[in-house]
Amino acid sequence: MEQFVGQIMPYFTVAIFLGGVTWRLWRWMIPRIMHNITLSPFPGTWTAAVTWWVWQIAIFWNILKFDRALWIGAFPFHAALIAIIAGHAMGIYTLGLQFHMIAPLLVSADLSVWLSDLLGTTMGLVFLVAVLYLLYRRFTVEKVRAISSTSDFLHLFLLLTIAGLGNYMRLVPDAHTTYLEARTFMAGLFTFNPVALPQNAFFMWHFFFVQCLMIIFPFSKLMHVFGFFWMRWMVNRPFKEWAPGMPGAKVQVTK
Amino acid sequence: MPFVEIEGKQVEVDEDGFMTDPAAWFEACAYYFAKGEGIEQLTDDHWKVINYLKEYYATNGIAPMIRKLCKETGIPLKEIYELFPSGPAKGACKLGGLPKPTGCV
Amino acid sequence: MSTETAKGLRQPKRANEKLFRTLGIEPVPDEKKVEEAIRHLDDFRNKLRSFVVTMENCVKCGLCADNCHTYLGTKDPNNIPAGRADLIRKAYKRYFTPQGKLFGPLVGAEELTLETLEKWYSYFYQCSECRRCSHTCPFGLDTAEITMVGRQILFWLGIGPQLHTATAGAILKTGNHMGLTKAGIIDTLEFLAEEIEEDRNGLKVEFPTDKPDSDILYIPSSVDFMLNPNTLKGAGMFFKWVGANWTMSSRITEAGNFGYLMDQTRIQREMVTRLYEECTTLGIKKIVWGECGHGWRAAKMYVASYSDLPGVAKIPMTHIHDEVAALIESGQLDLDPTRNSQKITLHDPCNYVRACGLCDQMRVIMRAVTSDFVEMTPNRERNFCCGGGSGVLFDDPAMYEYRILASNKKAEQVRETEAEVLCAPCSICKAQLYPMVKEHKLPVEVVGLIDLVGHALVFPEE
Repeated sequence: MEQFVGQIMPYFTVAIFLGGVTWRLWRWMIPRIMHNITLSPFPGTWTAAVTWWVWQIAIFWNILKFDRALWIGAFPFHAALIAIIAGHAMGIYTLGLQFHMIAPLLVSADLSVWLSDLLGTTMGLVFLVAVLYLLYRRFTVEKVRAISSTSDFLHLFLLLTIAGLGNYMRLVPDAHTTYLEARTFMAGLFTFNPVALPQNAFFMWHFFFVQCLMIIFPFSKLMHVFGFFWMRWMVNRPFKEWAPGMPGAKVQVTK
Repeated sequence: MPFVEIEGKQVEVDEDGFMTDPAAWFEACAYYFAKGEGIEQLTDDHWKVINYLKEYYATNGIAPMIRKLCKETGIPLKEIYELFPSGPAKGACKLGGLPKPTGCV
Repeated sequence: MSTETAKGLRQPKRANEKLFRTLGIEPVPDEKKVEEAIRHLDDFRNKLRSFVVTMENCVKCGLCADNCHTYLGTKDPNNIPAGRADLIRKAYKRYFTPQGKLFGPLVGAEELTLETLEKWYSYFYQCSECRRCSHTCPFGLDTAEITMVGRQILFWLGIGPQLHTATAGAILKTGNHMGLTKAGIIDTLEFLAEEIEEDRNGLKVEFPTDKPDSDILYIPSSVDFMLNPNTLKGAGMFFKWVGANWTMSSRITEAGNFGYLMDQTRIQREMVTRLYEECTTLGIKKIVWGECGHGWRAAKMYVASYSDLPGVAKIPMTHIHDEVAALIESGQLDLDPTRNSQKITLHDPCNYVRACGLCDQMRVIMRAVTSDFVEMTPNRERNFCCGGGSGVLFDDPAMYEYRILASNKKAEQVRETEAEVLCAPCSICKAQLYPMVKEHKLPVEVVGLIDLVGHALVFPEE
C-alpha cells in the first residue's frame, strides 16, 4: 500500500492532473466568443479590466458585497488555502527557512522556522474552521442545499479529511513529520527516484487524499480556478463607444 | 387553430380567442366575444368604440393609438375600461375582430 | 389552454404548430424532442464559449439566489440562477462529461427527459435575462446566456410562447413588434403633431417617415405608437430643438428585438438586416436608438457580430440618452426642470446598466429635467429587474400572477422612495410596471425619460 501511494500513484496523479487540466482548457478554447457579452459599467482600458479581476481575487469583492454570510467562510477558506499551498512548497523546499532567505537581515533562521510553524498551524486551523462553516452552511441554508448535489458535499468532506489529517500532524507531536523528511521524500519523486514514504500513517493518508483531490480536479468544479479567468475575460472587457454628436444638426455638442 | 361556432358559422380564432381573419367578422361575433369578456349588454358607447376600431383598421391595417381612440370617440380611457374590462387593446379589439396586439403590451 | 401543467409548472401560453410553420419551423414530435435537444446542446458546447464556461464552473455557492428577483418573488429553487442553469447543466454533465457519464446523480448529472424540457419552457421564460446574476457572481457566470440557449433550442423544437412567436411573425411582416403599417404610422404621427400643437401653444413639430437624404435615423419603440406617445413626442421635440436632419423608417420602426429573446439565429438578424438596408437607402450617417432595453443591447453589442452586413462597422450608433446627455453637459439645451416637479425616482433598465454602459447619462438627464429626483436603493448596475424583462409580459392568469411576484422586489424599492412618479426608460419595463403599480397599490405614475425631456424643453416659439 505505502509503495503504491508513495512511489507509483504520484506519477499517475500528476499525469492525470496536468493532462486533464490541459484537456479541459483546450475544450474551453474550441468554442468561440460569439458575441460581445461584456458587463457594464465597462472598464475603460484593458489595464482597468485586469485590475478589476485582481481586485475581485484579492478580497472576493462580489461576495463581500452581495453575500456577506458566504464571504466570512469563503474568503478565509481561500486565503488560508493559498497560504497553505505556498507554505508547503516554500517551507518544505527550504526546510522552513524561506523568511530568512527573503529577509536575511531581519529574520534569523530560527525565527523563520518558528514563523513557518506558526503560520502553518494557524492557517491550517483557519482553513479547517472555514471548511466546517461552509459545510454547515451547505447543510442548513435552504437556498444552498437546494442547488447542491452529493458531490458538492463530498468535496467539502474530502477537504475536511485532508485538513484534519494535516492539522493532526501539526498538533500531535507523535504524528509529526519534519520538513527534512518531507523534502527528502518529495525530492525523490521529482527526480524520478522515488523513495519510501516517511514512517507516518497520517502522512501517507494525507498524501493519498491530496492525490485524490488532484485526480478529480480536472473533472469537477475545482476548475473554477481557471474558470474565473476564462469567464471574466469575456464579461469584463473595455468597449469602444461611438461619440455623441449628430451630424447635420444645427446644435452641435461643444467640448 | 381552434374554431368557435357563432350563429351556425365556424369562425377561426387564435390561442387567445381573437379572430384570425378580421374580414370574416359579422355583427354576431361582437355579441359572442362580449359574453366571453363578461360584458352583458352592448350599449351605444360600446358600438362607438367598436365601429371606430373597425373603421380605423380597415383604413390603416392596424389598431389606432389608444389616446386617439379616446379622443375620437370622446370616451376617456377609464370609461373604456369600464365598458371593456380587458381594456381597449385586449377587450374592444377582440369584439371588433381585430387581431390581438403583439409586442410590449 | 391551461397554463399550469399537471405538475403545477407555471408556463406561458404556447404558440401552436401553425404559427411555428409560418416562421419556417416544423415542430419536432414528442418522441424526437429529447434527442434533438441533446444534438443542439452538443452543437452549442462546441460553438459558444460562454455556455461551456458557465456550465463547468459553477461552484454552487448560492450567492445568486438572493440576488435574483425571480427567486426573491417565488422562492422556487429552479428560479435560483444556478438552479435554472442546472436544468441544462444536469443533462450537459450526463452526456458530455466523463464524471457525469460515470457517476450520474452523484455529481448532479441526469438524463434529459420531456419533463425536463417542460421545466425549461417554464423557467427559461421566468428568467428575464437581466444579468444581475452575472453581475453578482464571483466569476461573472452568466445565466442569461444559458436562458438564451434554452429558449433557442425550445424554439427549434417548436416550443415558444404565443406572445414571442406571434411577435416574431409581426417582425417578419412589418419590421416591428406591433405590426404597425406605414399608413398607421403616418396617421399616428400626424395625430401626435396635432397634440403637440394644441398642448404647446401652436408649436409645430414634424415627424418625418422614410425621408431620403436624412442624416439621422431614429429608431423608436413601436409601442410608442400605441401606449407610450409621450416618449415619441419627446423625441420629436428634441430633434426639432437641435435642428436635426432626421427621419424614422416604416420598415424598421422598432427599437426592440423580440428575435433576440427567442430566436437569435434568424428573427434577431431580420431586424438588423432591415436596419442596415434602410441606412443605405436613406443615406444615414448616424443611428439614434429609442427607449428600449433589450433592443439597445441587441443593437449596440451584437451588431458588430453581423459584420457581413454593409455599413456595420462604419455607421455610428448611439442611444438618444447619449445625445441628450452630451448636449446637457455642454450646457446647450434650454430646459425648465420645474415643469417636472413631482417627486420622481428612476428604474434602471437592466440591459442599459448591466450590458450597455448607459447609466450616468440617465442621471445627467434626470437632474436637468426634473426638480425633485430621488434614487432608489440599490440603483445603477446593482438595481433589480422590473420582472418583465425579455418579454415576460404574459397575460394568462398563472404567468400574470408570476409577473406580480417577480416585481415584489421592485415594488418594495419604489415604495421606499415615496416617489409620485416612476421613470422607466424602456418599453418592456413600462409594460410590466403599469400592472405592477396597480397590483401593488402604488400611487405612482409610470413615464419614460425622453417624455420628461420633451416636457422640459423650452422652445422660443412657445
